[in-house]
Amino acid sequence: MTSLPLTLGALAAEDFAIKRSGIYWLCEDGHLCRANEVIGYCNISLEKITRQRSGSFPMADEQEFQVAFATPCAGRLKIKAGNSPGGYLNAYGLRTWDPEDVVGHLDAASSDPAAPDGSGRLRLLLLAGRRMSGLADVDFGLLPGWHSRSRAWWSQDTGSLSTLLCLGICDAAGIVRGNKVPFVEFFEGSNSPAAQLVYVPDHPVVPCAPILLEQLERTASEKQAIAADLAAALANTRTPATADDWLFAGALQASLEQSPMLDSYDMLTPSGLRKQRPADAILLSLSSEVQSVLKHKKLGYSLQMLRHRQASAGPAIKSWLSSAFEPVKRSIDDIRRDYRRLIEAIAAKTGARVLILNRMSSSGFEDILSYSPFDAPLYETLENIAAKEMNLMLHDLAEECDFSIVDVDSIAAYLGGAEHLPDGIHHSAAMQSVLRTAIAGIMDDLGPGGVAAAIR
Amino acid sequence: MLLDLRLPKINPNMTAAVVECVYANPGTLLKAGDKLFDLSVDLSSGYSQYCPPISYFRVVVREKLWLQKILVNPGDSSDVGAALALFSSEQDETLDAAPARAIRITTAGIAHHQGLWSANQQ
Repeated sequence: MTSLPLTLGALAAEDFAIKRSGIYWLCEDGHLCRANEVIGYCNISLEKITRQRSGSFPMADEQEFQVAFATPCAGRLKIKAGNSPGGYLNAYGLRTWDPEDVVGHLDAASSDPAAPDGSGRLRLLLLAGRRMSGLADVDFGLLPGWHSRSRAWWSQDTGSLSTLLCLGICDAAGIVRGNKVPFVEFFEGSNSPAAQLVYVPDHPVVPCAPILLEQLERTASEKQAIAADLAAALANTRTPATADDWLFAGALQASLEQSPMLDSYDMLTPSGLRKQRPADAILLSLSSEVQSVLKHKKLGYSLQMLRHRQASAGPAIKSWLSSAFEPVKRSIDDIRRDYRRLIEAIAAKTGARVLILNRMSSSGFEDILSYSPFDAPLYETLENIAAKEMNLMLHDLAEECDFSIVDVDSIAAYLGGAEHLPDGIHHSAAMQSVLRTAIAGIMDDLGPGGVAAAIR
Repeated sequence: MLLDLRLPKINPNMTAAVVECVYANPGTLLKAGDKLFDLSVDLSSGYSQYCPPISYFRVVVREKLWLQKILVNPGDSSDVGAALALFSSEQDETLDAAPARAIRITTAGIAHHQGLWSANQQ
């Protein structure tokens, strides 16, 4: 048995000192760790080395900035005392990052082929979150609070780093951001170090194709017009705005003004700060493509929100939604057209590859003997018919456009939809794991073989 | 002969459903294919969470029978196994006897629509 000193490893940021907090452990002393298991984290911040405190800071808009530690190999963890003073003293960046700091030891089984020869360098997973509001701070936890964008990446000095941007609803969010500790499920299961994951939530706007396209092409004057109209809605004295209205309106305006597909990223790596281009791949969800979207009667922009999100709005916003917008039905051909325009616009703006999660199209919870009782067109009435027709549309579209389909339908059928996708949208952990492998396969240009390998 | 409809366990994880639409009126003769109810099944059991796992289902009759009593209203929550409606094979039957069996139905997952009780509650 080899006892490896777990050292932090290198991080550099040119003109900035990296300060860190105490260590927060995600497991107990004596825990038997898997290789690549995230076992703890700390907060970090950048401080200018010179005395000059003004000027621009990289990542200044990302108020949450943390480093999580993953084990280099399997073994039993021995936590070193003195790294976690507790209370607020654990949260503040009171220590300068030192690559040789030892935070614990790992008793690695010598039989573990992954055990490094004497080096216990921790793998560093960096996590950053842009708060929806500066008010949305939560002191403790991994990526705590409410973020308009969050991301994570392995600290590696690889030549090229691919970025996957997730713009889906629950089905995509669960795969990318996970349901336990943010991003960790994806990274613990991924062998490829060359990936950054970015997640933009559906708070409160559903990222469906027409909305994403408009975000991509919206001008400054159009943003001003939207903001002015929204302000007027809140000033409407017939329906006085409540606190819920103001909070909702702020999130809505922020969402309409941004286009995450155009974001570039500051990255902290072992050798210094680097700038990363906009996302190389964008994960969308076919489940986001609803049969009806709202169109603003005067300004013409599209809006769609999940029902449970709309319920969060106050009376003024609800009143505005019902008076200033009209629902516009979308046929499957309309959705196909919207996708084609979006994919072409993304290709022209950034060249990113689009990946689309298709839909589970069968259910064990129904026993239809005849379709005659159900109103035509059936895709407007029956969920499974709608899913089948939408999936077929995607396949047809793939003949015209260059994008990848992540085949949720076949994976769910293989694993068992009743157990792994009981409501058609929320996946089990096992299914999420297979889908992550499928996506990583596509990202690595493995093609359909990646999906098949994931299932096997 | 009296027959009844009790809330079926459409999904193995469900414990209850909300009645979203009632399509038929007591005293009418139903034929195979007639709509009876739309139901919503919330697997989170109503607990407010990130994204409620709600599915919608339509219940359709698969045989000819008389609808005698509707025992629920839109917005009611019923437990699995609770009686939803009472039927008979003949028009004029006393309702004193115990139901001889459950009616034959089809259940199908449906899209959310504006006629649902819950669509008009926000």
